[in-house]
Amino acid sequence: MNNTLKDLCSLYGGSGREDNVRGYIIEQIKDFARYYIDPLGNIIAFKKGANTPENKVMLAAHMDEVGFIVNYITEKGFLKFTSVGGVDPAVICGKPVFVGSNRIAGAVGMKPVHLLKSDEKDKLPGIDEMYIDIGANDADEAKQLISLGDRVYFESGFYKFGDGFIKARALDDRAGCAVLIDLIKSEPSYDLWFAFTVQEEIGLRGAKTAAYSIAPDYAIVVEATTAADISGVTGEKRVCELGKGAVVSYMDNGTVYNMDLYNRAFELAQKNNIKVQPKTQVAGGNDAGAIHTSRGGVKTLSISLPCRYLHSPSCVIKEEDLKDVRQLTQLTAESFAND
Amino acid sequence: MSEHNELQNLILKLVGAAGVSGAESGASKVAAEELSRFMNVNTDTLGNVVGTVGETGPVILLDAHIDQIGMIVTGIDDEGFIKVDKCGGMDIRVLAAQEVIVWSKKPLKGVVTSIPPHLSNSDDAKTAKKITDLSIDVGMTAEKAKITIRPGDRVTLSGNAQCLMGDKICSPALDDRVGVAAILRSLELLEGRKIGCKLVVQFSVQEETGGSGAKTGSYNSEAEECITVDVSFASAPGIPEEKCGDLGKGPMLGVAPILDESMFKTMEKIAIAENIPYQVEVMGARTGTNADSIQTTKAGIKTALLSIPLRNMHTPTEIISLADVDNTARLIAAYILNREGKNE
Repeated sequence: MNNTLKDLCSLYGGSGREDNVRGYIIEQIKDFARYYIDPLGNIIAFKKGANTPENKVMLAAHMDEVGFIVNYITEKGFLKFTSVGGVDPAVICGKPVFVGSNRIAGAVGMKPVHLLKSDEKDKLPGIDEMYIDIGANDADEAKQLISLGDRVYFESGFYKFGDGFIKARALDDRAGCAVLIDLIKSEPSYDLWFAFTVQEEIGLRGAKTAAYSIAPDYAIVVEATTAADISGVTGEKRVCELGKGAVVSYMDNGTVYNMDLYNRAFELAQKNNIKVQPKTQVAGGNDAGAIHTSRGGVKTLSISLPCRYLHSPSCVIKEEDLKDVRQLTQLTAESFAND
Repeated sequence: MSEHNELQNLILKLVGAAGVSGAESGASKVAAEELSRFMNVNTDTLGNVVGTVGETGPVILLDAHIDQIGMIVTGIDDEGFIKVDKCGGMDIRVLAAQEVIVWSKKPLKGVVTSIPPHLSNSDDAKTAKKITDLSIDVGMTAEKAKITIRPGDRVTLSGNAQCLMGDKICSPALDDRVGVAAILRSLELLEGRKIGCKLVVQFSVQEETGGSGAKTGSYNSEAEECITVDVSFASAPGIPEEKCGDLGKGPMLGVAPILDESMFKTMEKIAIAENIPYQVEVMGARTGTNADSIQTTKAGIKTALLSIPLRNMHTPTEIISLADVDNTARLIAAYILNREGKNE
């Protein structure tokens, strides 16, 4: 599962441009499940289990990641851009990026700190004031390599550091994809449906159609969620913590979760010695928002991997949490199937 | 780009080594090795890498600083997060979620903490966190971090050097490793040529924290003249035209009250004669470089300033043009060959 995650994080796939990620996932699952690609680009997969259960259970993880899109090229050859998904200006300034499928290297340019007035030195420019510098001398030169609509991603490698931590771009939600791939390669006790969704970061668009097509009775969204367990943050503001296992949400900005499913996740975790923690802030949202209102309604649960610095070039997770998420996802899925 | 392959390799080697102010040994070692191809090299009391060549004629000092901006560890909190302060004029706006290396006994990878958009308020998106409110996540328990990392350890912004379009390079620490590279390249151009002066080369420490290295290095040099090679602002959106040069249009020749006018005039003349592109950079008093302290060393040293245009100064994505570094080297070499005669 860890090698799969490394491979997945090396691919880029902004919302609506998930092709690379989709291609990789299909290669991984094609010998283990039946699948098709729906009109929006979701992978819908069916995995035959040992038994056919009473209920149809769908597991979902999104393939897309946050990034940027080039919307203008200035006379001098700088690229203006806007974000695709939510990215804070604070993590964009001065970062290396690459543009388009040819991976043209660039950097998000800054007015040098030396030329700022003293009250400007901590002011962050808005994304509309930023630009990408690819070293072009003018617009014509830039246009040889760049087209409007090209996608931009942070240049950021995958590495392990400290005591069992991983840093990478796009762990949100390639971690969920890695868990689902692993489950498809396993031999589940019951039939399961899988959705690798597109366009989560711009409004849960893939999940909506995937849930419609699968028409599940139960759904489990496998995600990476925001952990704020960093220096100076205390109590509920930490949201969740690395190394404390799978995160289960009672509510976020898109979904009020089914309490029975929420409780059952904790019971199953405790019974099976899996580390689990609640998400202690109502913040963020994920594919559950679209899935739980699909058709006549779907009972939905979110199981997440705690992840620091979400939506930045340097997302950080703890490797051991991945195992807890994987185990709890399987146990809850089997429990819901047989409900 | 092929015409600057060797120069590019040299620059990549120099930026690949660490040397935050006061802890320059990594970068100094690489620079000293390169310099020793041309002359005998020593390290002085403060750590400046110094080499001399030639016996007779006027003494000319070539200076570029070897240190880079970074951070310095001030403490480790109860959860193992590393607290830091600036070491040099770090731009705090680039720090959130920035990859770094903590230079403890062994280099350790880490990430500067940040609050994701899901939890931030509108102020967080407009204002960069103070450096004292940030910390570095090295993925260790407090217990382990306290054994491994010590207050005073330096921290660099990490990031692989990347080639941009044309001959442009993007990397941390180009300020002022490109100055070091330009001097090394000028020595290569002078190889086998008869020079009528004594050359002292110094790769000086602690420029970013006030210029202590240049002050003591130039004191020892007995120099009559000095050429300081540093970087200056290249044009980019939002920068007033009069405060910058252009990338790729050659070294910026400094004009300032503290800089020597005759050296400037000679350099300009040589640049025109040798067909070396150049730009003029005018500053109102001092220059903010080592030239400021070198000028008043002992009884005074005539000083000129050559600046290589650079974008995004003091960020992990500084950008230069290789042609500018090469042309800076050509101008230095031509000046030294010409120096046998006198300045006018």
